[in-house]
Amino acid sequence: MSLISLKNIEKIYNIGGEEVRALDGINLVIEENEYLAIMGASGSGKSTLMNMIGCLDTPSSGVYTFEEEMVHSMGDSQLASIRNRKIGFVFQTFNLLPKATALHNVEIPLIYANIKRGKRIKIAEDALASVGLSDRVNHKPNELSGGQRQRVAIARALVNKPSIILADEPTGNLDSKSSKEIMKIFNDLHRNGNTIILVTHEEDIASYAKRKIKLLDGKIIEDSNQAT
Amino acid sequence: MFSLFIENIRISLTSIFENKTRSILTALGIIIGVLSVTLMGTLISGLDKSFEKSMSWLGKDILHISRYEWFSDMEWWEVKNRPKIQPDYVKKIRERSRYAIAIAPVMQRGASIEFKEQETRTEIFGTNQDYMETIETNIIEGRFFTRNEDASGARVVVIGYGLKKAFFGDQNPIGEYIKIDKIKFRVIGVLEEQGKFLGLFSVDKQAVLPFGAYKRIFSKRGWMRISVKVSEKFVSEGLDEISIIMRHLRGLKPTQKNDFAINQTKAFEKQYQGLKLAIGGTGLFITLLSLLVGGIGIMNVMFVSVKERTREIGVRKAIGATKSMIMLQFLMEAVTICFIAGLIGLFLAYLLSLFINKIFPSTLPISLATFSVLLSIIVGVISGLIPSYQAANLEPIDSLRYE
Repeated sequence: MSLISLKNIEKIYNIGGEEVRALDGINLVIEENEYLAIMGASGSGKSTLMNMIGCLDTPSSGVYTFEEEMVHSMGDSQLASIRNRKIGFVFQTFNLLPKATALHNVEIPLIYANIKRGKRIKIAEDALASVGLSDRVNHKPNELSGGQRQRVAIARALVNKPSIILADEPTGNLDSKSSKEIMKIFNDLHRNGNTIILVTHEEDIASYAKRKIKLLDGKIIEDSNQAT
Repeated sequence: MFSLFIENIRISLTSIFENKTRSILTALGIIIGVLSVTLMGTLISGLDKSFEKSMSWLGKDILHISRYEWFSDMEWWEVKNRPKIQPDYVKKIRERSRYAIAIAPVMQRGASIEFKEQETRTEIFGTNQDYMETIETNIIEGRFFTRNEDASGARVVVIGYGLKKAFFGDQNPIGEYIKIDKIKFRVIGVLEEQGKFLGLFSVDKQAVLPFGAYKRIFSKRGWMRISVKVSEKFVSEGLDEISIIMRHLRGLKPTQKNDFAINQTKAFEKQYQGLKLAIGGTGLFITLLSLLVGGIGIMNVMFVSVKERTREIGVRKAIGATKSMIMLQFLMEAVTICFIAGLIGLFLAYLLSLFINKIFPSTLPISLATFSVLLSIIVGVISGLIPSYQAANLEPIDSLRYE
C-alpha cells in the first residue's frame, strides 16, 4: 500500500464566472521514504498540489488517500488532525510565531496533539537538538539568523514524527550558504527514513531530490520515475 | 485540553501586554461598566441596610396618630385647619380599644442640653412608659422610667447613645445630672445606637423624658403624635378600630373626612421603594449602556487582532489547530481582557465604596462582586464571539498567504 495516492484529482476555481482548472486530473503515487521534488512555473498548479497533499485544501473531485485514510471526504477537524499527526510543514517565510521562543514554537504542534507539558518540552528539545540548535532554545525568532529560523521550522515540522515533510520553497528566503545547510538537513532526514516532498522552481534545489515531477497547467508533464 | 487552556491564556496575556495602550483603552469601557454596576449595587444595599435600621426607630406595625399624613398629595389648605392631637386621647383610646397593646403619646421639640461645660442642641421627646414597646430600640445601660415617675412628673431622662458618647465618653452616665433648657434632669438610662436616619440625621442624640415632666416644663408646643402598638395579627383591625375611636373623639359626622392621620412605616417603605426603583433603574440603564459601549470596543479590537494575526492563524491551522481551537483562542483573549478589566473595575469600586462609606453607610456585598466579574466575562464572551468565529473560519491557504 502506498503512502500517498492521488487519483484523478481536480481542483476547479470559479474566478469571475470563468472556470480555472488549477489541477486537471492529477494521478500521483508517493511511496514511503521517497524524496520528491514538485517543480513548475508559477501558475502551473504546484502550490495547489502542495496544499492538496498537505491537507490544507480539498479537491473538487478525485480520490486522495493518505495511509489508507480517505482525505478527500474529510471534514475540517479530521483534516486538522491529519495535518497535526502526519504532515510537517516547512514554509518559505518560516512562519514562526514572532513572540514565542524557539522551544515554544516547536512545542505548539504537541500542544494541539494534547501531549503533557513535561514530555512536550523533552520532545521539543530533542527536535531542536536534531537540527543543531540546542544552544538557541530560548531565543526568539528575531534573535536568530534566517538559516537558524528555518531550522527551528524544520524542528517544528519534525516534532510530531510526521509521515511526510512538506517543504514549500524552503530556501527561497535564504542565502546560498544557509540553503546548503538546510538541504543537508533534508538529505539527512531522508537518509533516516523520512519521506520528503519539496516544492520549488529552482533546478539546483530540486536536484537534491531523488524524484522530480514537473507541472504545467494543472497537469503532470514529466515524472522522472516514469521517464522512458 | 488543559495544555491548550494554558497556552491560550499565555497567548492572550502576551497579546494584551504587547499592545498595552490599546488594551487599556479597550478595557476602559468594561472597567467603567463594572465600576458603575458595583457602585450602584453598593449604594442600594447600603440604602437598604440603613433604611431597615432607620425603620426600627419608628417601629414596625406601629400606628402613629398625627395631625398630618407623612406622605400625602393633599394640598396644604385642605389640612391646615386640622385640630391638634390632644394628650388626653391616650387615656380615651386605652379605655375603648381592644386591639391596642401599648399606647404612647410622643411630644417632640428642640431643646438645648448641657452637661458641665458642654452644650448641644437636640430633639427632646416627652412620652410615657409604653414608649419602649413602640420602638425597636433597646436600653443598653440603666432603665426606662416607670409609670410612677411619669405620673409624679419626676425629672429623669433616658438619653440616646450619641448624647452619652458626647457628654460622658466611656464613663457611666447613670445618676449624673444634665440640664435641659437650664432645668436639671437625672440620667437613668441609655438607648442603643441606631445610626443616622436614612443617612441624613442622627436620632442618637435624642433625650426621652416622662410625659408628666415634659408637659409641665416645656409646655405643649411642638409636635405631638400618639404611637399605638397593636397585635401583629390584627394590624388592619386595629387600624379600623383606632380610626373609629378617633372619629368619635373628634365628633365627625359620617360624611366628613378624617381630620387626623394614622401613619404606618409602610408609607415610608412605599416612598423608599419608589426611590430605590428610580436609583436602580437609572443605574441599570447607565451600566448597560457602558457595558454595551465597552463590549463594542472589545469586539472592535478583536477584529483588529484577528486581522493582524491572520498569518498566525494560518500557521496554527497548518500545524494542526482545529476550528474550535482557534475559536477558543480568540474567545479566551476577549474574555481575558474583560476579566482583567472586571477585576480592575471591582478594585476601584471597592476603594470608592470605602470612601462613600464615610459619608453614607454602605458595603460592597460579595455576591455583587462575584456578579459583576461574571458580567464582565459574559460581555467578553458575547463581544468575542463574532471575531473568533471569523478567525476560526479563515481558510488556512488564504491566511498563510496573507501579507
